Amino acid sequence: MKQHGHLTRRRIIQATLAGTTALATRSALAAPALVKGSKLTYWGGLIFSDKANKMLVETIKKWGADNGIQTDVVMINQNETVQKVSAAVASNAMPDALDLGLDLLLLLSRQGVFITLDDLYTSVGKAQGGWFPAVASATDTTKVAGGRTGLPFGITGNLLLRRNDVLSKAGFAKAPATWEELATQAAAVNKPPFYGLGLALSNVGDGNTQIGVLQSYGGRIADDTGTKAAIKSDATREYLRWVKNAWDKKLFPPGNTTWDGAGDNNAYLSGQAAFIANTGSVGIAAKNQDPELFQGTLYSALPAGPKGTVSPTDPNVRAIPKASKNPDAARALLEHLAQPEFMSAYYAEAIYGPVLQGQSTFKTFGPQDAIHSGLLDLVQRGTAPAFPDVYNAAYADAYNNFVVPKMIQRVVIDSWDFDRAMDEAQKQTQAIYDKYK
Amino acid sequence: MTTATRRRPPGAGIWGTSQSRFAYTLVLPVVLLLAGLVAYPFLYAIYVAFTDRVVGNDGQWIGLANFRYLAQSPAFSAAVWNTIVLVVASDALKLLIGLGLALLVNRRFRFQGLFRSLLMLPWAMPAFVAFLTWRVLYQPIGGGINLLLTDSGIYPEIVDWLGQRSTAMPAVIAASVWRGFPFWFVSILAALQTIPVELYEAARVDGASAWQRFWAVTFPSIRPVVIITAVLSSIWTANSFENVWLLTQGGPSDATIVFPVLAYFGMQTQRLGEAAAVSVAMLPVLAILVFTGTHMMQRGEDE
Repeated sequence: MKQHGHLTRRRIIQATLAGTTALATRSALAAPALVKGSKLTYWGGLIFSDKANKMLVETIKKWGADNGIQTDVVMINQNETVQKVSAAVASNAMPDALDLGLDLLLLLSRQGVFITLDDLYTSVGKAQGGWFPAVASATDTTKVAGGRTGLPFGITGNLLLRRNDVLSKAGFAKAPATWEELATQAAAVNKPPFYGLGLALSNVGDGNTQIGVLQSYGGRIADDTGTKAAIKSDATREYLRWVKNAWDKKLFPPGNTTWDGAGDNNAYLSGQAAFIANTGSVGIAAKNQDPELFQGTLYSALPAGPKGTVSPTDPNVRAIPKASKNPDAARALLEHLAQPEFMSAYYAEAIYGPVLQGQSTFKTFGPQDAIHSGLLDLVQRGTAPAFPDVYNAAYADAYNNFVVPKMIQRVVIDSWDFDRAMDEAQKQTQAIYDKYK
Repeated sequence: MTTATRRRPPGAGIWGTSQSRFAYTLVLPVVLLLAGLVAYPFLYAIYVAFTDRVVGNDGQWIGLANFRYLAQSPAFSAAVWNTIVLVVASDALKLLIGLGLALLVNRRFRFQGLFRSLLMLPWAMPAFVAFLTWRVLYQPIGGGINLLLTDSGIYPEIVDWLGQRSTAMPAVIAASVWRGFPFWFVSILAALQTIPVELYEAARVDGASAWQRFWAVTFPSIRPVVIITAVLSSIWTANSFENVWLLTQGGPSDATIVFPVLAYFGMQTQRLGEAAAVSVAMLPVLAILVFTGTHMMQRGEDE
């Protein structure tokens, strides 16, 4: 039964006091006390866009000047983040806040390197329409760190870039819906030195794009428990058949088994490939270096395999180490950097997809920008990292040891039969998973 | 059997004479510096190899587990073989080229200084730039080597130098030799210039041929330098990372994987214990190299 109380003067005073306290508490939470003259070091992740890098540095510096904080912003090549952060953790020389990828965040969160940011995560999410579900689930470190340790700020993932100018002349106006269709279209336009499939099969991150293709054929790295290797399967055999067929038809540019991280970019930008899977950085480069190529390029989601599409999203986050000497200022800075004013301008120059629902209304993610709208599509429809596999430390180890690209190399370089290549990959993967039991 | 009895010099305490104590005091800072900068990291790396240390966690002693994991890895056995092939082949070629050029440049001719400087350029160039340039030269499409071969009609087909098992390691060796031969060249040249001209004149008077003069005069004189150069160069080659990483990342299919690249993969997964185990696994080979080199030098001095 609902009870109605009388509005006495005492109750009004009590309510006013409670409200004032709540407001005061909230404002204290939202804006922690910043110590004027204190120092803050920030490690930003260097990306392909100079404008975006400059914007991040200037925004942090301006925030520092406005709040009386001495800021030191160090931009770090993202290929070197693991080494630099590893060394900084070991030597207790971590910055006050930093940008990093999900892999490193998960690993270091297990070791208790970062403070939890649940309140900040919640308040930023509430203010901007909530986090995209794929981002929220992928960055949830609660099980390993007792709370959320990363504040997501952008997602990356692969789009399929295609030479529409060439393909449409060959009668392929639409993007390939399946990997088989992709190989068919690639074969139709394959005229060396112009090759159909500019996909890396080497021991670099781009080579691991093949894990998603394998998974879309129903192949797996490990079983549902995330403890037992499951590479050897009929689905993997089917996938290997697809790669071998394409290889035998010479659809891949020569050298793609030893490409470095820029191999597919270079192949596409130099007009050697009809298709590549890329984060969109190539599109930005083409826009600046080769407007004709940019105009002739279209972007779409990765094709599907017999078991559907596997298109992993890879969130990037900001985090505050426990070793930070100025955690309050670091939190305030992270909150400042999450504001729409900065992020809308930053996204326009960077090659990141949105992480918050409210960001999807930014002009950048409109249909006029094929790359950014593709990234919006990716965060809305993409799959979680490692899906359908379990994303754990063993999976990350297998990923970083290039188990799948090496299995492919056994088939296409050493001419091993599928079973022998799968047996080696299975054994190697199991040995990796056994380390984490 | 004889026994030697050590006698303390008159006036010497347990820590020696005041003179020797003073000498030890003078040496102490250097000893401490070496212990801190060399011995401690070296011994600590060996310790880490026996732990499951990861970034952010010191880990626990796990005995030989890291080594057992490495031993079953196909990449490890490939790395052992590839490292041996890379070291032996590239150092043999560096010796041949370095020695040949040193003998050539040791004669007097115009622009001798300029020629010597030019030969040193590969060594002066940053490794990063050098190997990226080689990578461009090896490109199947538009790469300088393929263009040269096809345009000149020497070989009409495009060769994927870095993408085939048969050519990847020779390509890495060729680039490593190009970058490393100047060290051999300059070391041998310096040794050649210390050989007294009178020895050659005496050999000529005795009717020795060019080959006999080289074998009886030149080679014994430069042998200690060749040995020390071989030891140093082998250690550097075995530890070299940029050449393989920038050219092939250890591929294709582990055809060029070497110890440092394998250790780097361990670092990428933040498993410091495992990465240290790779480095420690190299130690016996490097130790054999160092001891053999030292022994040969000692023997040369005794002779």
